[in-house]
Amino acid sequence: MDLLALVLPLLAVAPAAAQDANDACLACHADAALTLTLPSGQVRSMTVNGAVFAGSVHGPRLACTDCHPGHQDYPHPERTYRTLAEYRAPFREACKSCHFENYTRMVDSVHYKLLPQGDPRAPSCSDCHGAHDVSPPGQPRAALSRTCAQCHRGVFDTYAKSVHGQALLERQSADVPVCTDCHRSHAVGGPHDAAWLLQSPQLCGNCHADEKKMAPYGLSTRVLKTYLADFHGMSASLSRAERPQEARLTALCTDCHGVHDIARVDDPGSRVVKANLVKTCRRCHEGASESFPAAWLSHYEPSLKRAPLVFMVQAFYWVFIPFVIGGLVLQIVLHFWRLVVNR
Amino acid sequence: MSDSVVRFSVRQRLEHLTVMVLFVLLAVTGFPQKFYDAGWAGTVVDALGGVPRVRWLHRAAGLLFVALTGWHLALAVATAATKRVPLSMVPTRRDFRDVVTSLRYYLRLSERQPRFDRFDYREKFEYWGLIIGALVMSATGLLLLFPILVATYLPGELIPVAKVAHSNEGLMAFLVVLTWHLYNAHLAPGVFPFNPTIFTGRISRAHLREHHPLEYERLFPIEALARAREVRPDGPPPAAVEEKASPPAARDA
Repeated sequence: MDLLALVLPLLAVAPAAAQDANDACLACHADAALTLTLPSGQVRSMTVNGAVFAGSVHGPRLACTDCHPGHQDYPHPERTYRTLAEYRAPFREACKSCHFENYTRMVDSVHYKLLPQGDPRAPSCSDCHGAHDVSPPGQPRAALSRTCAQCHRGVFDTYAKSVHGQALLERQSADVPVCTDCHRSHAVGGPHDAAWLLQSPQLCGNCHADEKKMAPYGLSTRVLKTYLADFHGMSASLSRAERPQEARLTALCTDCHGVHDIARVDDPGSRVVKANLVKTCRRCHEGASESFPAAWLSHYEPSLKRAPLVFMVQAFYWVFIPFVIGGLVLQIVLHFWRLVVNR
Repeated sequence: MSDSVVRFSVRQRLEHLTVMVLFVLLAVTGFPQKFYDAGWAGTVVDALGGVPRVRWLHRAAGLLFVALTGWHLALAVATAATKRVPLSMVPTRRDFRDVVTSLRYYLRLSERQPRFDRFDYREKFEYWGLIIGALVMSATGLLLLFPILVATYLPGELIPVAKVAHSNEGLMAFLVVLTWHLYNAHLAPGVFPFNPTIFTGRISRAHLREHHPLEYERLFPIEALARAREVRPDGPPPAAVEEKASPPAARDA
């Protein structure tokens, strides 16, 4: 942001000059029929809508050549792109000069890791943000998820039917997560990344352990605490991404509740509703009996009403441990004191 | 005449050594699981090479501990049944009287100190604490090790019950060792820095006389009587020697 703050005023002093230069470019590039045919046979439109660009966030600030350096002169110097992917690659660097922080984040993303593998689907900045029509992100909020849907259609369709997706798309809810809330926007991560996976309970907890966010929905905020206190959560807490075999060691939130298809816990289709729970347990605990799910306290803290036996054993030790240890320590102190007195 | 007496057999010494090693191993691999959110828990797990290995170590040590407990109890029951040894670990009414006498002495309500036999009430408390603790830990540990099997025949709720009991009982055992055992076997004046008897198996005659006078008098009645006369040449022999219900030879046999 600092860099941007430095650069923006400099750019702002010369909007008129930039506009003149841009008009020169548009003299050719406004032509709707202008295309570039690459050696691969791929055809790329070279048309730019001047009005759209002027209305974008960059319109008042940037000249064409800020992003397209080396094209000041006509005829443009010859380029040796063979494919569309090669043609687009340099623009990632074009954004970097102003948006350096987000660029470095993007370098950590699963998308960027596709690049060296030569995956032509690896998105560049403009695939998500647009090129000449860059607009402020998240307006409306659903646009974020729809952007991902351009490539991740299947996931989006599943998400759209989930409790989160329905609230977003049908009620324009500002409370539910869009894709980027969980997967991040630039350092996009996913379940193939052990570190991302192991912090996913905290990710869910960001909202589900937040009293303010959960109050309107009447949802318990103890879900994270009770998960962590149980065998699964304890295992997840001690697992480390540096030991990749531990990433899938234990059940995370999503293993029981689902991922993109998360449903309300009272939805008859939910994986964690009582009728379906044993099936969900059996995904890991092969051969689990009908009484096995009772081993899990369903995010309830033990009380006389819920899991009374667990509560009573806990209460017994709350009293018994201080009684025993206190008594022993008292005897030790008295013994020592008497020996001192004897001297 | 040797200056020391055999107090523990080789088997008893090895049992203590094994239980000591297993106890430490179980604590080191168990507490990071109980206190998973503490910084040191992660450090310990990382040092031991990760969660699966910590768990494997805990379960292996736990199963050995179950085996040791079973072996010890089976042997104790067998020897008791054949009456080849006196049941010197069984708490008696005298032990409860000794607790009261000790406390009165500590509080300076009385100058009379209890005179102990082979095992004093502190040793008996720790022994039975360990036995009962071992039974609780073994039972709950096995429930936790085989949750699917357990839930096939018993209510599933027993598993979180076992978890709470295992976790708390383990903490209590650790705290008892940290306070009671550490004080009585290491830190108490007269014992410091440590009482080697459980490792060497031998106790010096002077220690025996001081800490287990009744046993001493039973083992060395003539010497005890002679010493008593030496200390108080004109007085009568110590009451304890006369008080004894049965002749020393019969109880020792």
